[in-house]
Amino acid sequence: MKLAGPLRAAIRRVSAPYAILILMVAVLAVLPAVSHYSVTATNVYDVLQNFASLGLVALALGTTMIAGEFDLSVTSMYLLGAMVAVLTGAPSPVAGVLLALAVALGVGLIQGGVIAGLRLNSMPVTLGGYLILLGTTYILGHNQTVTYANYSVGLRLDQPILSIFSIRSFVSIGIFAVAALVMAYTRVGRDIHAIGGDRRASRIAGVRVARVVIGVFVASALMTALAGALLGYSLSTASPTIAVNQLTFAATAALLGGVSLAGGRGSPLGIAAGVLTLSIIQELLGILGAASYVQSLVTGGVLVAVASVQGLPAALARMRSLTAWRRPAAPPSSTAADA
Amino acid sequence: MRDAAASAMAPLRLVAARRRWDLPGALMAVVIAIVTGLLIYGAADTSGFLTVSNLKAILTATSLVGIISVGMTAIMISGNLFSLSVGQTAAVTATMFLYALRVDLTVAIAAGIALGLGIGAVQGGIVGFLGANTIIITIGAGLLQEGLATWMTNGNSVVPPSGSSSYTHLALPLFGVPFAIYVFFAVAIVAEFVLRKTRFGRQLYLMGENRSAAHAAGLPTALLTTGAFALAGACTGLAGVLIGAASANGSLLLEGTYTYDAIAATLVGGNAVGGGRGSVARTVVGALFIATISDLLLLRGYSTGIQILVKGIIVAVVVVLTNLRRGR
Repeated sequence: MKLAGPLRAAIRRVSAPYAILILMVAVLAVLPAVSHYSVTATNVYDVLQNFASLGLVALALGTTMIAGEFDLSVTSMYLLGAMVAVLTGAPSPVAGVLLALAVALGVGLIQGGVIAGLRLNSMPVTLGGYLILLGTTYILGHNQTVTYANYSVGLRLDQPILSIFSIRSFVSIGIFAVAALVMAYTRVGRDIHAIGGDRRASRIAGVRVARVVIGVFVASALMTALAGALLGYSLSTASPTIAVNQLTFAATAALLGGVSLAGGRGSPLGIAAGVLTLSIIQELLGILGAASYVQSLVTGGVLVAVASVQGLPAALARMRSLTAWRRPAAPPSSTAADA
Repeated sequence: MRDAAASAMAPLRLVAARRRWDLPGALMAVVIAIVTGLLIYGAADTSGFLTVSNLKAILTATSLVGIISVGMTAIMISGNLFSLSVGQTAAVTATMFLYALRVDLTVAIAAGIALGLGIGAVQGGIVGFLGANTIIITIGAGLLQEGLATWMTNGNSVVPPSGSSSYTHLALPLFGVPFAIYVFFAVAIVAEFVLRKTRFGRQLYLMGENRSAAHAAGLPTALLTTGAFALAGACTGLAGVLIGAASANGSLLLEGTYTYDAIAATLVGGNAVGGGRGSVARTVVGALFIATISDLLLLRGYSTGIQILVKGIIVAVVVVLTNLRRGR
């Protein structure tokens, strides 16, 4: 009976992302029945295409968040990945993707190395990284939008399979599946959770923290660059200025998916649920014909709301500790003597 | 247990202390020397740099970035890293200023500053009272400001009422010096006074240095965070007023690169990114540096890409160097 409370809370915490997703799917399914708007397979395809474009960015950012870090550079890594692939991938699309991944590997190693080696806060470091990569993208593209001559590649990647999937969304789904298995069943996955939950304790317990941190930033850069490269082929263009809202989308999706900003909590499946939820919301706004600023308001509002709610329990606990002296004295404990 | 660990660590710490002679300090001196050399070379070699009109342009840019950076300094000192939406706030308050000119110049100035203060206070309140993450909240708030501004203006830019010219004084020189510079110095002096001499300012430093100690000491940490953001918002609103007066065309485009320039200026000045140490004077130097570099790159015809890249390298180098110097 004692366990019921915490257990129920744990179940609620774990299942919240999926509950919200199911709710959104239900809204999408019920909409045609209660209104004159129609929902077709194309809408589902759109949602999955958005999952293909931004899912990996959310997974990248989310993984750094689980490890207790934050990769602000994902937006420009995304644009740089697209730029490298589009510039070099015309003769061989695969080579273009590989080159983008090679660049990402270098970026991840340097950023992760600096953060882990010098034990720096990842926010200012990746802010510098964000600007450096963005500048590089501008320079590579000569401050312009670059077009990709090999249109057929994009058409092939986006061609509907079973009317709702595409090669691009399969790639994302596959990587999410691998990430879910790695995070749940391997030592690396446990280590990532551990360093996010309590870095000192995991260091003492023998986790090679620096390696894991570097690995997380490499994984983040690789996944982001892959998504960017495939999007570049899909749009047949790359530009340093396309929508700067990937970071907002990724952060919102990760938080909706149950990733904790404090680190240590979250899973790829949760992040996938978060991405799908946010994608369905955007698709619904599109179906309803909402203006583009409504998208900004909704995404920004959801982000602020989720981030606020997440800090709430800790904030309440702090407030309780402030008023603790008013309550009847607790039995004497050693902690009081320590302080 | 803790004592045992501490005594076991003692020899290690001694070694660390001995090895920490001053390599980072020397490195920093070398970097400063190189950068100064490059600046002098650039200044001498770039035609049009050492002209009165260009120096005025640099000072104006310094002032606009600087006023925002002064607010950013308060956030950084308080241990809340930085805000990623001051650019949007500057654009929104500039637009509000231009709209409120329909009433009166004084009202418009007050409206711009008050709106900035409010936007900052709301974000600070969420961060402080709900314990939310600064970066996430300011990213979300940036998007919300963009959405609200587009909604309220229908996506149109806002121009001052026809026949109104009072606002142009804010963009014109006073005694031969751009007006923004007077405002910048006034803001810097007031902010430095507030941070150093008032209870609020000193508590901000303490909270930035050690939040749990500040909390244990009974400091109102949530309120202090709200105050730091409100101060930053008010500064940004003031900059927004000047930016609006200079452009006379209010839209989200005014956001420009103010967010990253302000963060870069605050970091370059050598303020500790983790909080607790720093000063407005440092930020003034940082803002001057960033504005000079931007101007130099622009005059020499470097592309947007190079300008962004250089700022990124500056941020990265400064973050690494200041951390090395601090040691652990």
